[in-house]
Amino acid sequence: MEVEVASSAVSASREISANQRPVTNRSPAKTRRGDPYLDIAAYDPEADLMVLNLGPQHPSTHGVFRLKLYLDGELIVKAVPFCGYLHRGVEKLCEKLTYVQLVPIFDKNDYVSPMMNEQSLVMAFESLLGVEVPRRARYLRTLLAELQRIASHLLWFGAFAMDLGGALGGGSTLFMYCFRERELILDVFEELTGCRFHYNTHMIGGNRHDVPAGWAAKVHSAIDIIEHRLIEYENYLTTNRIYLDRTCGVGVVDADLAMELGITGPILRAAGIDHDLRRDAPYHAYDELEVRVTTDIAGDCEARTRVRLAEIRESVRLVRLMIDGIPEGPLGSRKPIKTNLAEKSERGHAYAAVESPRGELGIYVIGGGANRGASPYRLKIRSPSLHALSCLPYVLPGHVVSDAVAILGSVDPIMGEVDR
Amino acid sequence: MSVAGLAMAVDVIELLTQRFSANSEPDGPPLVAPEHHLELARTLRDEFGYRIFGFVIASHHPATTKDGEKVDRVRVVYGLRTVGSHTRLASWQLEVDVGTSVPSLVGLFAGADWQEREQYDLVGIRFEGHPDLRRLMLPEDWKGHPLRKDYAIDTEVAPWR
Repeated sequence: MEVEVASSAVSASREISANQRPVTNRSPAKTRRGDPYLDIAAYDPEADLMVLNLGPQHPSTHGVFRLKLYLDGELIVKAVPFCGYLHRGVEKLCEKLTYVQLVPIFDKNDYVSPMMNEQSLVMAFESLLGVEVPRRARYLRTLLAELQRIASHLLWFGAFAMDLGGALGGGSTLFMYCFRERELILDVFEELTGCRFHYNTHMIGGNRHDVPAGWAAKVHSAIDIIEHRLIEYENYLTTNRIYLDRTCGVGVVDADLAMELGITGPILRAAGIDHDLRRDAPYHAYDELEVRVTTDIAGDCEARTRVRLAEIRESVRLVRLMIDGIPEGPLGSRKPIKTNLAEKSERGHAYAAVESPRGELGIYVIGGGANRGASPYRLKIRSPSLHALSCLPYVLPGHVVSDAVAILGSVDPIMGEVDR
Repeated sequence: MSVAGLAMAVDVIELLTQRFSANSEPDGPPLVAPEHHLELARTLRDEFGYRIFGFVIASHHPATTKDGEKVDRVRVVYGLRTVGSHTRLASWQLEVDVGTSVPSLVGLFAGADWQEREQYDLVGIRFEGHPDLRRLMLPEDWKGHPLRKDYAIDTEVAPWR
């Protein structure tokens, strides 16, 4: 796909965007906390409460997720979330499969950013087994992570616009546009790994697939197109009066609530906390890069959109910095392991965390020693989406039902990762 | 006394070993007595700035001692994180028998609510003082706790309910 990117056109549309954006209320975030343990029987007996089940089959729940809402008129009094509809028992499976067999399984957890899942898993295994990763592989992992972040946030942006309803550019228009741009990244990944989605490109001690000839030029053209069109889409949505009315001041998660719940990632940064594992606890090759972290103070749905869009632009900048300078050297610190049981078994605990598009994605692994063979004794996935969803019982009360859809969309839950 | 990839701050290790008399473990984070658990979490949050809730991990450790006596233990690892630049994790573990319960952190960190529900659901450890200890992932009428070591991976379940 060829698109002419004229730099004058880009700067012109930037100016329009700055002039057209209406001034919004930018006061620091403060959540009106609802009570998740509210006793409905003791609630005002005069009130005519209605119970509304949002989900498990509902387009706005981004998967299978059930939200039981107690409504007084149209106001939400209490919200009880139910998850687990997609529970596949991954953590039990980890006790059966070997270290080598587990990497492709983890692609399916967060199916919107599979690269981060693989990376957190192999990082945990590498620290448990004491395996070094060569610089070229660390660099390539950083690059893949940033490309994946662009793809993940693009999909979220389109889905969020669709959640907010048909008034915003004819329903699924923006969704389809964002999907089309995400395809560019998937094409690039396909050329590198052979798969569009479940890559299996990381292995303990390095990466499996080396960069093909001419790949850098394709990445350049993909991110040029994305950066150019993103300005258009941003103007399309974020200057829309209806969008602003539905997101400003809606679903405020303040910093205290976010930290207490363990929410990290864009939601925490939108609440004004400058916290990003890429900069604050560097892994891969992030210690060689300067990651500019975006924060916002309002903590509402609009602030979360701003933070995520800024993160796409930041990732585009980082990819541009890295793509032409991938260092030479070996891609793995040892030969690829062909048999399942060749990995030695280690005792001990290990933890590795990466900044996924949704926050801190951590893998805590307990090695079993000789009597467990080559599989972990216990493995726990610290899922950022699960922590993010747990804000709903605190945030939703006091909002109307249509706001619940906007808030759920802005949290960006991936149910495959929540339920595991 | 260590978790690979999780280097704890020196002052926290000092706090754990001296003020809360934690035992260092050959592998894994320091072992803390359950009666010190809440006070330790409060100290870390209020005095040391560990304000982001990290994780709760329970694991089942059945074993047979030299005398042929069977012990059935659960270990629970908690983790908390500091905010901002040079962020660090602090983690510690508790060890209890399967039947006894662990003090819940819900009063200090609201995020412990769902995490402890998940561990109760999958490992079957009870948390004392938890306001709403229901299963999180599995249906309410599920029998057993799948992440127990005595729960076979091929346990048959009805395909529909």
